[in-house]
Amino acid sequence: MSWSKACRGTQWFSSYLHNIHPTSRTVPLVPCSRYGACSVVNQHNLLSKRAFWESMLLGGAHPHYSTHSMITETKSRKMLYYLTAVVFGMVGLTYAAVPLYRTFCQATGYGTVEEKIARHFESGTVTEREIVVQFNADVADGMQWKFTPSQREVRVKPGESVLAFYTAENKSSAPITGVSTYNVTPMKAGVYFNKIQCFCFEEQRLLPGEQMDVPVLFYIDPEIETDPRMDGINNLILSYTFFKVSEETTRDLVDNKSSVPVQETN
Amino acid sequence: MSTGGAFGGNRGLRPIPPEKGIFPLDHLHECDTEKKEYLGCLKSSANKSEQCRHLSKKYLQCRMAKNLMAKQDMSELGFSGVKELDSTGDTNNE
Repeated sequence: MSWSKACRGTQWFSSYLHNIHPTSRTVPLVPCSRYGACSVVNQHNLLSKRAFWESMLLGGAHPHYSTHSMITETKSRKMLYYLTAVVFGMVGLTYAAVPLYRTFCQATGYGTVEEKIARHFESGTVTEREIVVQFNADVADGMQWKFTPSQREVRVKPGESVLAFYTAENKSSAPITGVSTYNVTPMKAGVYFNKIQCFCFEEQRLLPGEQMDVPVLFYIDPEIETDPRMDGINNLILSYTFFKVSEETTRDLVDNKSSVPVQETN
Repeated sequence: MSTGGAFGGNRGLRPIPPEKGIFPLDHLHECDTEKKEYLGCLKSSANKSEQCRHLSKKYLQCRMAKNLMAKQDMSELGFSGVKELDSTGDTNNE
């Protein structure tokens, strides 16, 4: 681009020189040396060479030169459109990857419990590592439930489904509804802890004084053995916490009773 | 399943709902005996789950029978290959 600017700058100069030496037999030296592309001037080819240099200096005024640049311009424009389309295509593919992955997993069943366990079973790898899973139970503040694990720990091999129990007892005098959530420590091992079935995330209602044994069915992903980050981890702690959703007061019970007509006879 | 410590890392881990759903509560204590057997077995075998797998399978079958659990094939729950102690051959163990 600077080349064309320089070209235009020398336009007046070359025309000036042309006027001074209209019949000059030499190519003007100044523009020649500016571009360092001086060639030995042959007096026989003087006119054609001069025309050539003038066309260069005038920056594409020569018709042959301008179509060439037009062709390259069209080519570059096409290339630009093509590349922009590729960029947008890639971005769109990235966005589409999420639902596509989900449908693929659902259709093939890859990654679900039975598929993983079947794969592990068929590969015949013997799991030597024994992992100790300890249990912890918590209750939110102000909730009158007694919530404890029924077993302190379980020694489990990865790939085997394990059953565990918790005991929850409603120590208050009113029915309480609670919901629980869990977490696994150490956190990075939580990825390999898969719950098949549990009692969490759904409201559980206990009548006053009722004691309930709630089970959890889980397994540890066999891939924990191949992960180098899990090398020193042989202990997992599964922790459940119960939160109160609602507590029915005796006033509610009385109201319900009075609104419902007495059905029991004698 | 090797999730790296990408943006958020362990902070981003949130509790995942269970794969096969939620156990309904056993209000009427219908499967208590199986449960007690399983817990007893755990205590006697120093909490090794391998030796008590047949009892946990029994407990789940009890739940299915009493309509406390959706009926599923045992292999779906990861119990393929577990032989029961008093196998009568009625359940498909493979």
